[in-house]
Amino acid sequence: MIRNLIFALLILTGGSFLYSCAGNSEKKSAQQDDELALPDSITGEAPLKLSEEIIGDVIQNISSPVEMANLIKSTGVDFSQQILNNPENISDYSTSFKRALNLGVFSADLGYINSYDKSNIVVSYLLAVKNLADGIRVGQFFDFESLKRMATNSSNLDSLMQMSVSSFNQMDSYLRQQNRSNVSALVIAGAWVEGLYIAANVIENTNDEELINRLGEQKEIVDILYIILQNYEQNSSFKMLIDHLSELKALYKQVKITKEVGEPKTIEQDGMLIIVQDEVSHVEISPETLGTIIDKIKEIRTDIVK
Amino acid sequence: MRKLIFTLLLLVGVGFSGANAQCNHEALLKDALAQMGDGQYIKDFIVDLKNDKGGESGTVKYSVILNSRSQYKFNVVNGGANSEKVHMQLYDGDKLLVSNKAQGKMYSAFGFVCRSTKVYSLVFSFPEGNEGCARAVLSLQKQFAAGEGGF
Repeated sequence: MIRNLIFALLILTGGSFLYSCAGNSEKKSAQQDDELALPDSITGEAPLKLSEEIIGDVIQNISSPVEMANLIKSTGVDFSQQILNNPENISDYSTSFKRALNLGVFSADLGYINSYDKSNIVVSYLLAVKNLADGIRVGQFFDFESLKRMATNSSNLDSLMQMSVSSFNQMDSYLRQQNRSNVSALVIAGAWVEGLYIAANVIENTNDEELINRLGEQKEIVDILYIILQNYEQNSSFKMLIDHLSELKALYKQVKITKEVGEPKTIEQDGMLIIVQDEVSHVEISPETLGTIIDKIKEIRTDIVK
Repeated sequence: MRKLIFTLLLLVGVGFSGANAQCNHEALLKDALAQMGDGQYIKDFIVDLKNDKGGESGTVKYSVILNSRSQYKFNVVNGGANSEKVHMQLYDGDKLLVSNKAQGKMYSAFGFVCRSTKVYSLVFSFPEGNEGCARAVLSLQKQFAAGEGGF
């Protein structure tokens, strides 16, 4: 209890200071030194098809590292560091485009590591996140020392994950305030692909029904991500990613999602009302389609991390 | 240990002192996280509604992607100066799924068992167009396995 309280306070203390710093100094700095924000010019000239506000609103939780990681752990499969990106690769990511994408990748890896309580390797992944975030000028949202302390001193990595997720959310809000939703979209895309990549590897080993369903349900999400990324299609780097997603989207057409409407249920649990949704969706995905989608996800992920 | 907690509380207080005096969102977030319970934090939402020229504070809407076979909790903490408690509603398109208002009373939280992965809308407003502020947290409470909870 006391430990949890301390962690919560640490999160809030760090968060409030970081937020203050971001709000006061970064705007000015970004305006003065914009070429440092996007040295390889990942902004497009063409007008956006969706406003920054709408994009930001939709993408903010497209990929929750917490949810996918929990689902993977629930399959009972052993942890495998081999399927994760290697923190040593970050020196290869010399463009903002690559850094943003792989920042997302490492955020998903962190979620996976956290769900298995692998505190022995978490610091190297946090450092990768911090370095990549610095590389796209959002490092102020990741208080590495506090994160490291939590990772090395705590047996409760939930608090660490909470702080990490909160840092990512703050970074996302900040990027949108700065009209840098393009960077935010890349981070989200990287996290989404990595989450699916890890899930795909686990599916190949377990054929787990829950994970297959979750992979199939991404038919809804790939459409949204595709529309968002299309806003930046003028940029050649984005085009590669958009083309990949277009192909993945085409493969997802073979996934059938049916919906039936039943009766809504209300239950009370610990004094709180809980509504059970009346609409139920069912996913139908053939082994062949699953195989082609997994192959495509692996191909996209290879392009992202190379 | 107590000294450490007090020191941290002091730090939090100092950190928060620079925030908007009318609505201290960092303090609200702290409360909302404390009330989140055993779930895992997913996202938080800022509500800051002011009266416009027509005298109505309107609404603020956030899009959230919720996943099937998952139980979520939405909990909200009101600003101290609010004259009315915030109304929090979850929509699927135009269809209202759940609200924190029941039998004339505003509750601080509701749970939602999602059975269809898609984008939902979380809408906040204040009764009679009053202005006010609040902070809400979305957390994951449970993921259901096949055959569990009717799935």
